Amino acid sequence: MSPVFQTLILVCYGLSAIFFVADRLRHEARLVSIGVIALAAGAILHAFGIAAIGIDSGAFPVADFGETLSFLAWLTALAGLVMIVRSRMAVVGVFLAPAVTVAFAAASILRFQQLEQSRIVLPETLRSVWLPIHVTLAILGYAMFVLAASVSVVYLAYERRLKGKRALGPIEDGTPSLEKLDRINYQLLGWGFAMLSLAIITGAIWADATWGHFWSWEPVESWSLVIWILYAALIESRLTVGWRGRRAAALTIVVFTVLVGSFIGVNLMYPGKHGGNFG
Amino acid sequence: MEQSIFIVGINHRSAPVRVRERLAYSDADIPAALRRLREAAPAITEAALLSTCNRVELIAVATDPEKAADSTIAFLASDRDVEVATFADAIYRHAGLDAARHLFRVGASLDSMVVGEPQILGQLKSTYSLAAEAATVGPVLHRAFHKAFSVAKRVRKGTLIGHGSVSVSSAAVKLARQIFDTLSDKTVMLMGAGKMAELTARHLKAIGIQSLLIASRTFDRAVVLARELGGTAVPLDSYRPYLKMVDVLIGSLSLAKPILGPDDFEAVIKERRYRPMFLIDLGVPRNFDERLNAMENVYLYDIDDLGAVVMQTRGEREREAEKAEQIVALELESFARWLAGLDLVPTIKDIRYSIDRLRDVELERNRGWLSALEPAARERVELMTRSLTNKLMHRILSGLRRSGESAPDSAAAADLARQLLIDDLAAGHDEIEGTDDNDPEEELD
Repeated sequence: MSPVFQTLILVCYGLSAIFFVADRLRHEARLVSIGVIALAAGAILHAFGIAAIGIDSGAFPVADFGETLSFLAWLTALAGLVMIVRSRMAVVGVFLAPAVTVAFAAASILRFQQLEQSRIVLPETLRSVWLPIHVTLAILGYAMFVLAASVSVVYLAYERRLKGKRALGPIEDGTPSLEKLDRINYQLLGWGFAMLSLAIITGAIWADATWGHFWSWEPVESWSLVIWILYAALIESRLTVGWRGRRAAALTIVVFTVLVGSFIGVNLMYPGKHGGNFG
Repeated sequence: MEQSIFIVGINHRSAPVRVRERLAYSDADIPAALRRLREAAPAITEAALLSTCNRVELIAVATDPEKAADSTIAFLASDRDVEVATFADAIYRHAGLDAARHLFRVGASLDSMVVGEPQILGQLKSTYSLAAEAATVGPVLHRAFHKAFSVAKRVRKGTLIGHGSVSVSSAAVKLARQIFDTLSDKTVMLMGAGKMAELTARHLKAIGIQSLLIASRTFDRAVVLARELGGTAVPLDSYRPYLKMVDVLIGSLSLAKPILGPDDFEAVIKERRYRPMFLIDLGVPRNFDERLNAMENVYLYDIDDLGAVVMQTRGEREREAEKAEQIVALELESFARWLAGLDLVPTIKDIRYSIDRLRDVELERNRGWLSALEPAARERVELMTRSLTNKLMHRILSGLRRSGESAPDSAAAADLARQLLIDDLAAGHDEIEGTDDNDPEEELD
């Protein structure tokens, strides 16, 4: 990915973020469509960028934290577009598009730093069919959690307005109901959890095949387990005591914050097998 | 001589209902009344009559609008058998572009009692049809009305003037839609069967709620209403077990103090597994403790809250109305150009349509033997007729363009061309649409 190309993608994502936010402030039908188009344009260009890196290095393009983050931004944008179009929920763009933009910008910065040193080459031991399967599942799961957090943010904003009796601007006629937001949040959590579970299982199988043991308690593994347990508890609370609505949305955001913290922290501080230099 | 459009009328602001009702016409009477007007005032060349519960207006065309307006008022008085003095103060008059602006504003629902209400456009459309039926429509009203329809459409598309809720019960319904996604699996319970509670229940039924419970102080009333609306009557002293299955609870009992408070709901909410509940309190004094709104996934709106939602909508509509006024001003300019004869485009379009239709009719009439021809020969006939109409059109166009350099000549030429070439103005090609854009939820209260 050349710097120019990278900037172009960033501009697309940035524009979509601006338009989605402007739509919430100004409420003109055109703004949100421009937001969706800009997001789609960014995602398409981004797909080419990722493919170029993959072809260039001859491996699945997740060699370092920057590439992984870029991949996460792309999958999130893609899944977000599917959700916006399928469920007619353009409002989630107000959280989603800035999140994608920030993630991609961070990935770009990491990439420029990386370019000054020599590029990391994926070691031979990790070049396996398990790599794309394991990584795609994990990143897809994370993308679902980003979407769930987006939906929850919208839920809390709407619920606040309904409680505050400030609901019902005429502009909001077509917006999704609380019940729908809550249901979609639950579905996203379910999908994300399933993907994360499969990612952990495939990772364990792969680790066993490569190093001879399923689990080695290194930071990425431990934190994945923590995240997995937190999301399991979140889903469990809905199934047993019926925690939904406001409480579920707030907890989704809390768990997501833990996820973001661990994702960044672990990758920057403990570059183990999963991290930058594959020790 | 210059033809000018003018309007005389009364509306909800200028006259109370006891005056308006005396001048009002039913749709069935309007064509005959228009014909009587033409006889009584021959100076009026075109006329249409708009009569709704909020306004009675005569929209007409004459060379001297001042005098014609006087005779129109005299006609209205004699035709409705009302003393002129009873409504003289309430009458407003508009002439020329001012009249056109008024017509556009009325059609765009900017002059309505509830700004943005959608019925007026349908009423204006039927006003036009009725005038066409009476054969009192000419080129000026034809243009003015169709312009008014397109202004209304642009305003509706380009602004949010028709959005939001303008009545308490429709506000309650819109709120329910913001909370619940599917309504068919929800249950409504009425506590107290007052008029407004009943209306709200009807609204909720209309948007898909299936299950309805009615608890009323007089059980007989509950049974009657339940039968009417398709619900189940519940004795008021044993409603509590039902609370856990109720999604929308509408209270309209007359009580000294709230009948339900947070203590009553603690257990209900857990039993419901935190599924959202919408409480609508229409009672004064209130039926539900206001602290209920603070409970998890419970949304309580009392009569003032609903009223505030309605007021907010009205305020927002008025802001949108400013945008709409700009659209009106813009369209008025284009109408003025046409009036001055400078804008030939509508005339040309009408002539083109008229000539094309002549051709179509001829082709249709000769379809029998045409279809017997070889395809190649049939194509030639089509081409020949097409080229004939094109050449004719070209001559008319260049003639009109040459005269278009000076405004009065151009208007006269355009008018002449219309008279000679456009056979049936009333059944013009701008189809009069039905009133499909009416919103059944929106009642005027």
